[in-house]
Amino acid sequence: MDHVIHTSPVFWIIIVGYFALILGFGSYFARYNKDTNDFFFSGRRFSWWLITMSIVATGVGSHSFLKYSAKAFEHGFSSTMTYMNDWFFVPFFLFGWLPIVYYTRIRSIPDYFERRFNRNVRILATIAILGYMIGYIAIGFLTMGKTLEPLLGWDLYTIIWVVAIIAGIYITFGGQTAVIFTDLAQGFVLLFAGALIFILGINYLGGFDIFWNALPSEFKLPLAHFNQPSNFNFVGIFWQDGVAGSVGFLFMNQGLIMRFMATKSVNEGRKAAAFNILLLLPLSTVVTSNAGWIGKAISVVTPEAWDASIKLDHVFTQVASLVTSSEIVFAFIIAAVAAALMSTVDTLINAVAAVVINDIYRPIVKDKDDKHYLKAAMFISAGATLLGVITVTFFDNFPTLYEAHGFFHSTMTPPLVIAIFLGIFWKRYTTLAAVSTFVVGAYLMWLGNKYPAFLIGPFDHGIDMDPVHPYSYIRALYNTFVCLASGVLFSFIFTRKVEVKIEKYTAKVVASAVAYFSTHDQNVTSTRDIYYAVWGGFCKIVNSFVKNAATDESLDGITVWTLDKAREMFKGSKPNDEPGLEPIVRWKVEESDKSFVRFSKNQMEEMAANVGDLVYLSDKRKWLGGLKSVHSVYAEPHDEDGVVYMTPDLIDSGQFSPDRALRAEKEM
Amino acid sequence: MHELSFFRTWLPVIYLYGVGGIIFFGGMFIIFKAKTIKPERLLHKRWIKVLYFGFFYYLALHVFLTYAALNF
Repeated sequence: MDHVIHTSPVFWIIIVGYFALILGFGSYFARYNKDTNDFFFSGRRFSWWLITMSIVATGVGSHSFLKYSAKAFEHGFSSTMTYMNDWFFVPFFLFGWLPIVYYTRIRSIPDYFERRFNRNVRILATIAILGYMIGYIAIGFLTMGKTLEPLLGWDLYTIIWVVAIIAGIYITFGGQTAVIFTDLAQGFVLLFAGALIFILGINYLGGFDIFWNALPSEFKLPLAHFNQPSNFNFVGIFWQDGVAGSVGFLFMNQGLIMRFMATKSVNEGRKAAAFNILLLLPLSTVVTSNAGWIGKAISVVTPEAWDASIKLDHVFTQVASLVTSSEIVFAFIIAAVAAALMSTVDTLINAVAAVVINDIYRPIVKDKDDKHYLKAAMFISAGATLLGVITVTFFDNFPTLYEAHGFFHSTMTPPLVIAIFLGIFWKRYTTLAAVSTFVVGAYLMWLGNKYPAFLIGPFDHGIDMDPVHPYSYIRALYNTFVCLASGVLFSFIFTRKVEVKIEKYTAKVVASAVAYFSTHDQNVTSTRDIYYAVWGGFCKIVNSFVKNAATDESLDGITVWTLDKAREMFKGSKPNDEPGLEPIVRWKVEESDKSFVRFSKNQMEEMAANVGDLVYLSDKRKWLGGLKSVHSVYAEPHDEDGVVYMTPDLIDSGQFSPDRALRAEKEM
Repeated sequence: MHELSFFRTWLPVIYLYGVGGIIFFGGMFIIFKAKTIKPERLLHKRWIKVLYFGFFYYLALHVFLTYAALNF
């Protein structure tokens, strides 16, 4: 183990104080959780800027200061590659997946699979997505352990257990609103902390010129060598991160999806995503990588100050310790990074709870009140934390966090990514083809893992095969290809017509088998018994997959080709897209058992709104970001201009103050 | 200073925006064809501009950074 960086009690007081402050900040907002909808999705109320900043903490945390500082120290500015290759899939996301997720009101990604295919495909998707998220949580814990290892000098797993207990307690009581607000604060702090390291580092070196000239041209190139070395090359990372990783992050990261579902409208979600990728990701990449660049420059300019024996994953901590002359600043930076990692882990734990509650628990334990599900979600959060810690051992076998993460993305994401992608964008993608993507795709991926030279080799773009960790990154191309090929091929073989025939045939075989065993001995003894038992059993399984399979009509609103229908279903009638004004109004209570708002006739005209349209009302203070807001429906108008009549349930849900005016926006 | 090879300098940029470009413009084609983006709507017209801007913004950024690394 590296030497321990010595710290005084002041350092630890600041660390504990920072955590207490951040957790207290989030917990304050946890009071806005009224039900499971709030716990998981924050009541779909927030403005884009609030969500985009909260995504920074999740993204930066998960892609971690440690991981990128290590690669930045080793390979230079090309450590930025992974943050700067996300735009290619943005059209698919902004105008495909995001509106589908929002308008269909799906509660989880497996929920989408049930609507798009059927219940059994949902089960396959649930297994895959839980595996993905638990792995992600484990990587988060491992990163956190490695951040604190050189500071505490404790055993890595002791640190991970302590961190897991704190994270588990926090998310169990906080929920999504707490996570969003914690991440909002963290987003600002992280950008500031990263920028501070850069400024202090440049100052430590003696100026930008010294920093720039200390680094060779090769180090300053923004993209890595095309296919060398095997543990860090452009083409492998493009397929692993730019394709599998980007699609995985945008399309199947339940935590991120839940953030977008917490925005007040699809357009706000689009703004949050675009702003994040265009501006905050380039900033984030500098923030997370610069410690590695500064470290490299220090090792050239003042080699006597640099401890060349440190592990790569400890470069960040070493640089932070060197460039911050004050222990208080060092403590602040370490606290910010550690708390960011906590945010990432918390988001994922919350997402696991959402999947387990909505996809497994609720279908089994039906008709309970919301408090029951909320309590169950808290226990599941604790369970997910525990599983995450147990899974850490697998990822600890990789030389660096970067490679562990790369292998994880290359292996876990392709089947789900392809199934989601073809499901959204290809109408002909059938239920049996989706099953084949998971089953046949996973089998071919397993074969690729077993015979990498023979199967992944043809896709390697000239990358050398490392015999210990063969094709960590470029395997993403092979895995994506085999899953895509399985999905496409089986869609042509098992068309909808074929699926109907299979359903009829298998149902007939199952019925014959049932009839046979009802008149014969249940013990399987004769050849005929074996035939009915084996073939009947197989047909029963196949039948469960083709039964209730999607038809052209049932695809309304859940593929990109029928999005208008999705909007119509979301509203319950034809959307009204006529542009209108956003008046400021005072509110009054109108007692009723139903839920609605009533504006004056004049203001309805100003807003170009009709009775039955959807409206969003928020506290007029924009800086609240929609925290105090509510969605409702326009009821019959009145004649009192400047006043909106609202039913008590809406006032309670929006937490509106009597002396505060509201801003009204027609949604559709 | 040793000469950096094409594999180290410009090939990654070409590959990134060649293959990435196929994905990006393929995505644009699909959302136009599916009519989920409607150029006749003012809001969507702005989004079309943002989408193209994003692609060329990142392309310009990578070209600039590569050029700066090699020449400054």
